[in-house]
Amino acid sequence: MSRFPARRLFRFPWRTAAQVAADVEEELRFHLDLVAQELIGEGWPEEAARLEAVRRFGDLESTRKICRKLDLSKEKQMKWIKALEELGQDLRFALRQLAKSPAFTLIAILTLALGVGATTSIFSVVDGILLRPLPFPAPDRLVRVYPLSDAGKPSAFSVLNYLDWRKQSRTVEAASLLDTTSVNLTGAGGEPERLRGALVSPEFFSVLKAPLVAGRGFAAGEDRPGAARVVVLSEELWTRRFGGEPGMVGRTVTLDGTPYTVIGIAGRNRWPSIVDLWMPFELTAERIDPGNRGAVYLSAVARLAPTASLQGARAEARTIAARLAAQYPEKNTGYRMDLAGMQTFMVGDVRVPLLILMGAVLFVLLIACVNVANLMLVRASGRESELAVRTALGAGRARIVRQLLTESVVLALLGGAAGAALAVWATRALVALAPQKTPRLQEVGVDSSVLLFTLAVSLGTGILFGLAPALRASRPDLSAVLKEGARSSRGRLAVQARSVLVVVETALAVVLLAGAGLLLRSFGELLHVDPGFNPKHAIAFNLAPPSPKYEKDATLRSLANTLVERIQGIPGVTAAGVSAFGQPLSSGNFWLSFDVEGRPKARPGEEPAMRIAMVTPGYVPALGLKLIRGRLFNAEDREGAMRVVILTQAAAHQYFPHEDPIGKKIILGWGFANGEFWTGRVVGIIGDFKQSTLSNDSDPQLLAPYDQLPIGSLSVVIRSTKDLGAVAAAARAKVHEVDPDLPLYELQTMEDVVSASVAQPRFYMLLLGGFAAVALILAAIGIYGVIAYAVSQRRQEIGVRMALGASRDRVVRMVLGQGLVLAFAGAAAGLGAAFLATRGLRTLLYSVSASDPLTYTGVALTLVLVAAFASYLPARRAARTEPQLALRGEV
Amino acid sequence: MSKTSLDLMQGTVAVLILKTLSWGAMHGYDISRSIRQRSDGALGLEDAALYQALHRLERKGWIEAEWGLSENNRKAKFYRLTDEGRKQLQVEVTTWRQYATAVAKVLETA
Repeated sequence: MSRFPARRLFRFPWRTAAQVAADVEEELRFHLDLVAQELIGEGWPEEAARLEAVRRFGDLESTRKICRKLDLSKEKQMKWIKALEELGQDLRFALRQLAKSPAFTLIAILTLALGVGATTSIFSVVDGILLRPLPFPAPDRLVRVYPLSDAGKPSAFSVLNYLDWRKQSRTVEAASLLDTTSVNLTGAGGEPERLRGALVSPEFFSVLKAPLVAGRGFAAGEDRPGAARVVVLSEELWTRRFGGEPGMVGRTVTLDGTPYTVIGIAGRNRWPSIVDLWMPFELTAERIDPGNRGAVYLSAVARLAPTASLQGARAEARTIAARLAAQYPEKNTGYRMDLAGMQTFMVGDVRVPLLILMGAVLFVLLIACVNVANLMLVRASGRESELAVRTALGAGRARIVRQLLTESVVLALLGGAAGAALAVWATRALVALAPQKTPRLQEVGVDSSVLLFTLAVSLGTGILFGLAPALRASRPDLSAVLKEGARSSRGRLAVQARSVLVVVETALAVVLLAGAGLLLRSFGELLHVDPGFNPKHAIAFNLAPPSPKYEKDATLRSLANTLVERIQGIPGVTAAGVSAFGQPLSSGNFWLSFDVEGRPKARPGEEPAMRIAMVTPGYVPALGLKLIRGRLFNAEDREGAMRVVILTQAAAHQYFPHEDPIGKKIILGWGFANGEFWTGRVVGIIGDFKQSTLSNDSDPQLLAPYDQLPIGSLSVVIRSTKDLGAVAAAARAKVHEVDPDLPLYELQTMEDVVSASVAQPRFYMLLLGGFAAVALILAAIGIYGVIAYAVSQRRQEIGVRMALGASRDRVVRMVLGQGLVLAFAGAAAGLGAAFLATRGLRTLLYSVSASDPLTYTGVALTLVLVAAFASYLPARRAARTEPQLALRGEV
Repeated sequence: MSKTSLDLMQGTVAVLILKTLSWGAMHGYDISRSIRQRSDGALGLEDAALYQALHRLERKGWIEAEWGLSENNRKAKFYRLTDEGRKQLQVEVTTWRQYATAVAKVLETA
């Protein structure tokens, strides 16, 4: 037996297949030779001994094969282990290096966490709203169908036009119209509750194709008048109100005082997502009356047939619309229709702002990268001698680059992990703060695809901010670094590289600042818009009287009048009134065509139109609207008395430009009874007020007395001199007194109503503002870092200058100037870029130009001030240099 | 190999090799000779099976190989136990003893 070799022969880390085969061959030959020798020793002739050795060995050929195969797979395994070991070494070394400079590591990780966290949370919003497909089978087949308004915008269907389209369309396999409603749920062991409902066609659930949690969708014929009343509940309602009771399907619930049979429960994947229940849209005789072809208020959704394309369906919609226009010129003159993918349609309004935010947050990430790259450069110059020594000892350039990259990637991953944690929190905050009208908001969250994005972004940033410093550092000028005193020339190079980085990040920050500044200015303009009513000291809420109980005009009148009377009795209330079409700035989009008595009738499709509201006499004073001329409504304007209307100034200007509207008679395209339409005489003109949004011009509006034209939806406004909270509580009690089954909803102060109406622009402004602030801070840190480093490199020179008589002020000015040069360069580049980039913001701006000079000047000033402050700190330190110490090289 | 020696079952080869290597590093020829000698010639191991087993054990990481010089100064592949192989040996020995006892018991009662 032999000893294990004391000194191992050299062995390559891994072998080729040929080498493996040769090794196996050599091992086996060695064995066979020894056996043969043994046999020769026993007296065998040499040749026979060799043959006998082979014979005794057994199956030599397959042993060869098996051994080769085993060795090759072992070889492969070793390669992996080796690679992992090296990675492990690099990682351990990187962590040790990072731990050695905790301040650097902490700042870098925090900076990255901020960048990655912000990027991730915005991405989670973009992903949830724009990217993720709708949660239905084959979501790309879902489309919205809609007529187009004169302006080419999507508008609404009338029942008959929808039904005609449905009958003629060959490109959809299922379609449904959609109307939203609200119903009162009573009984079922709880307070009366206001629920949001959708009225849909029987085919509705075949359009979505999302399976129900229990029960079935609607069946054909369930929309016919007199059909059994059926309802599908949302899973949330079922859980919340009925405790998720298993036997719910088949049970009866009371909606608006009428019993409905529950036939199904719709799961989380449903549409519209804010809805609590679905009911068939009943095709009553009134709804399909030919006279109502012009009553447009319906949306429609459809699923394309498997063979149809979106283009084909759009072409078909155009054809059908043209046919409808020709067939019914009275109501359908110029009728046009179009289709769009459901997701595209849904996210239409938020797509651009979200993409802008995504772009902005990527800027922040880029700035964070630049800052960390800057830090890495400083560190690299501190490690020059270490790297030079390692290179001198034979470390290859690739090996050093790999090591430095490992460090930056480790740093980025740590920052990314912190960022992901930050993002989970920030995304929740975003969803909570986002305007509630944002589509698909409930689908936003940090999930695996978002985290995958975070991982990719972290790796990407690690390489991005690590590569340049690593390449630079891996190429040290050996002789220069190893020699004494060569520090300054290298240092100056580093300052140059870093200055470029700082100019870049300053420019990026300027773009963000300009964008945020524009949104801020625009928002300020929006807040200064006079809504026309007085939002102070007023509260508002809504009531929806259930239909069978309050079907008759008389009951509605008495409800409105009794309510107003009781509310006016509350101490402190100075005015109270009811309007039939929603609160200003929240809902209420009811336009009506009209004619003026004595003028020729307008041609079909060209009738003048106004927004209309029916109000009780107290409503105008309660909102604080201004009376311009004539009179307001009073208690005498009752049913049976002369019918009267009030116009807003915009209506008076637009439709009575050269005459006094007071005394003129207006014929509404509505309220047809006893052979004529509802007609009222103009008795007053009031100031304009914003009904839809603050940014829209004031629409022409008409008010009619509620008593003369009652309708079943009540919006109450109360003006009070006393505490609004107490008034609200008292009003709630009064409503309960009048009818305990009448739920009250959307109770808020008028100021909240105004504030909610600008929730969207405020949200975008706050986010972009936040990004700009972070960017500015990071840019300031960048400038500070470069100047401080430059000062430390120039200590000796500064000392010499001071020894030669330069004053401290002069030194401060010199250093400050250096910082300002960077700031100016960054600002110039940034303003140029902002000028181009902010064009994308145009659609979000109200009464501010995208190249608003005030904003740009403000941004430039802000930046210069911040830069001056950031360079003042190192400048002051430079000025404190003691010339003697500096000259002796002791600082 | 002697005709009287017992044929060895697959798993047994492994435990014998491991045991043999527990006394020190050896090349294949020595391992084969050593097993024959220690069993007084009762256990004969076919060379083909031995080498296949050696490479299999190396693949598993229980033994490792290195080229060295044999006593007659030829390049030879030496095997020795790894730490993992040493642990495995103990496991296998225990299993083998239990197995042998069980078989013996059955045979005695017959």
